[in-house]
Amino acid sequence: MKKIILFAALLLAVNFCCASSGNFFEDGLAAADAGSFSDAADDFGKAVKQDVSYGALLNLGISEWQCGHAGPAILAWERAQWLDPLDSRAAQNLRFARETAQLDAPELRWYEKTSAWLPPDYWIWISGAGLWLMAGAFVLPRLLRRKKSGAQQFLIALGFCLFVFSAAANYGAASRAGIGFVLKKNTPLLLTPTSGAEVISTLNAGEPARVQRVFGNYFLIRTEFGLGWIERGRFDLINPR
Amino acid sequence: MLFFLAQSFLRAQTPPQISPAVAAQMIMQPQPPASGPPVEISATAEFDPPVVGIGGKTFYRVTVNATQGSIRWPDTVSAPPELRFGNDVRGQLSLPDGIKVQPLTSFLYEVTPTATGHFTVPEFLVDSGWLPVTIPAASLDVVTTNTGLVPSKILMEISATNLFFGEPLRIRLVPPPDPANRMLFIRDMQFNGGALLADRLSTRFGTGPVDFGGQLKQVLTIETVVTPLTAGTITFSVQAFVGFNQADSAGCKFLVSDATNIFVRPLPTENELPGFTGAVGKFLADVPKFSTNQVHVGEPIKLKYNFHGEGNLTRYVPPEAPLSHEWQVIAGNVGENTFTLIPLTDEATSTPAIPFAAFDPATGNYYDLTIPAFPVTVTGDALPTQISDWSSGDTNSVTLQLGTLAKLPGRSAPDLQPPQMRAGLVLAQILPVFAFFILWRRDEHKRFLEANPEIVRRRRAKRDLRREINMWRQAVTQGDADKFVVHAAAAMRVAVAPHFPADARAMVCSDVLSQFEDAERNGKTGETVRIIFKAADARFADSKPPAADFMAMKSDVERVLQKLGEKL
Repeated sequence: MKKIILFAALLLAVNFCCASSGNFFEDGLAAADAGSFSDAADDFGKAVKQDVSYGALLNLGISEWQCGHAGPAILAWERAQWLDPLDSRAAQNLRFARETAQLDAPELRWYEKTSAWLPPDYWIWISGAGLWLMAGAFVLPRLLRRKKSGAQQFLIALGFCLFVFSAAANYGAASRAGIGFVLKKNTPLLLTPTSGAEVISTLNAGEPARVQRVFGNYFLIRTEFGLGWIERGRFDLINPR
Repeated sequence: MLFFLAQSFLRAQTPPQISPAVAAQMIMQPQPPASGPPVEISATAEFDPPVVGIGGKTFYRVTVNATQGSIRWPDTVSAPPELRFGNDVRGQLSLPDGIKVQPLTSFLYEVTPTATGHFTVPEFLVDSGWLPVTIPAASLDVVTTNTGLVPSKILMEISATNLFFGEPLRIRLVPPPDPANRMLFIRDMQFNGGALLADRLSTRFGTGPVDFGGQLKQVLTIETVVTPLTAGTITFSVQAFVGFNQADSAGCKFLVSDATNIFVRPLPTENELPGFTGAVGKFLADVPKFSTNQVHVGEPIKLKYNFHGEGNLTRYVPPEAPLSHEWQVIAGNVGENTFTLIPLTDEATSTPAIPFAAFDPATGNYYDLTIPAFPVTVTGDALPTQISDWSSGDTNSVTLQLGTLAKLPGRSAPDLQPPQMRAGLVLAQILPVFAFFILWRRDEHKRFLEANPEIVRRRRAKRDLRREINMWRQAVTQGDADKFVVHAAAAMRVAVAPHFPADARAMVCSDVLSQFEDAERNGKTGETVRIIFKAADARFADSKPPAADFMAMKSDVERVLQKLGEKL
């Protein structure tokens, strides 16, 4: 009997732990409603680690902003925008944050801008669909012993266009993975990847940069102020490696 | 009087603890400036003791009720040559006298007589600033034998003679016994001779029995602490006024102690820890106290720390404020043992560790007393949640504001890695295209075979030929002549059928022979074919021909089949 009670208590405890660990999003909302944005940021951060969702990233950014952390806030919204560019809330927050902090958005190339129209996995499926359409329109009529028709030609052309266009977007999505943001205020941009390196410039929190190389605990990044090294803890990518 | 003093000094035979502040007031009385000429300046001179054996020591003491600064004391005292005078020691005592302060200055010489006799230091005049003062004559009798009289001296006991630089040295001062058994007190003590720093704040008065030549006497003692300020051998003595009434100069004597040597070792330079400021002793750090662990940027945190133990705690140099990019650290006033920590950025997650170390003279090693870092939450300056954006060319502002919280998680993904970089997903997109390609290739092949039926026939003939040859070989193995003939003939028909093309069953002997050259046809090959077909056809004849030894033809048949197979 005692063992049964102990087992039941253990099960309850496990259930309680699972339930509490799965409610980080709700906990974060409750903390934010109570005005405790520091706790809310912690909860939303845990929610993002558990399951990367647009809402958790958006709320994480808002909580970090309310705590005065512009860098992590901008990074969270950029990640939210990466996950679902069709939802405009993250983009609005980014515009507001950049206006407030007088920061520039990252300069995107044409294929990167294209890739930002849709979620990155959409482009993969569009690309696949284009390829399948092209191949199917080419092969299936022959298999079915049908004569070549204008529709078949059109479908092949359409598939080809979809594939080529989405291939550029796919490349753009992969290329955007190298963009990151400065997390902390007055972050030094270093000449060499060493702790005592000469400081080239000082970067603001939320400043965008492209990673060129990784060496130990340092990223070689290109910013509008030039090329330099930055400590890993002071910078993070949209797509963490 | 003695009873009264005993009541006040001998409470429960325990040393009364006098606070350092009170002790400092008693010891470090300021030297008041002379407000004017004293009404009467008098002087006394004496030898202590007045009778001494030859070679013994006595003190020549002159006391003047004037300030030390006002007296122009001569460099040498005119005395008989048989009395060898040492260096003088001088001191001043100030005693309250109504609204004035009564000064008392003493000059003391250690005198060693070199001959017996009665010697007198004659009276002489010294300038006291306002009036000349007559120093009266003093006489000393020097005898040949030891008189047993000893000069009055302060007894000095030290806690160690071999110590480290900066290590505190505890000193106990005991006044000489009073012949009238009165409780003597020591005041205005001063160390002479060595580079020592006296810690007045740690001076304590106490009472206790002291053994004077086998006789225990209750005396008032002083314990104090000095710190050596230089390495090497230090020779020092102590001087003080000793009397039985603190408020009256009557009976006050200016005394010195014997000189004492201590050896001071320098602190080792190797293995010195960061944060060492000269603290020497055995200390323990109390848990530091922080006023809060949650602050905004710019708000101060008060840190209170404390050390306890044995050593120069009252005079140690407190830890230095460390330099930090994230914190402004301000040391508190001397003796407060506090730091004020001001976060400069919200990136700070803990207070900076404040390095501190001390030296343990017992082990000869440095040890760490660093005040550890303390986790704190620093909240940054709040960022605005609404701004007005003046777009160029517009006179109206557009209000931008921070969005509201999402109530639902919305679109999610297992991680933020770009799907384009996932090989599996890319492969999954390409696989259907491969399927289409394979279907297309199969269709092409099918079309090719349709356009070239002889390939199909030959392929089928080869397959049938293999099957017939296998069955023929089984007949050979079994020694079955009928089957030998049937399968050999069938194999030959199958092998030549695609060349016409025709059904294999329709092939006859001439069809098979037509596939060979004339030489073969008329040779052994042709003969073998004919025999086989003749035997095969004989199955349907009325009269069977005589059976041949077909098994002996095995190799010939095999050769024929091989040739036919090669032509397929």
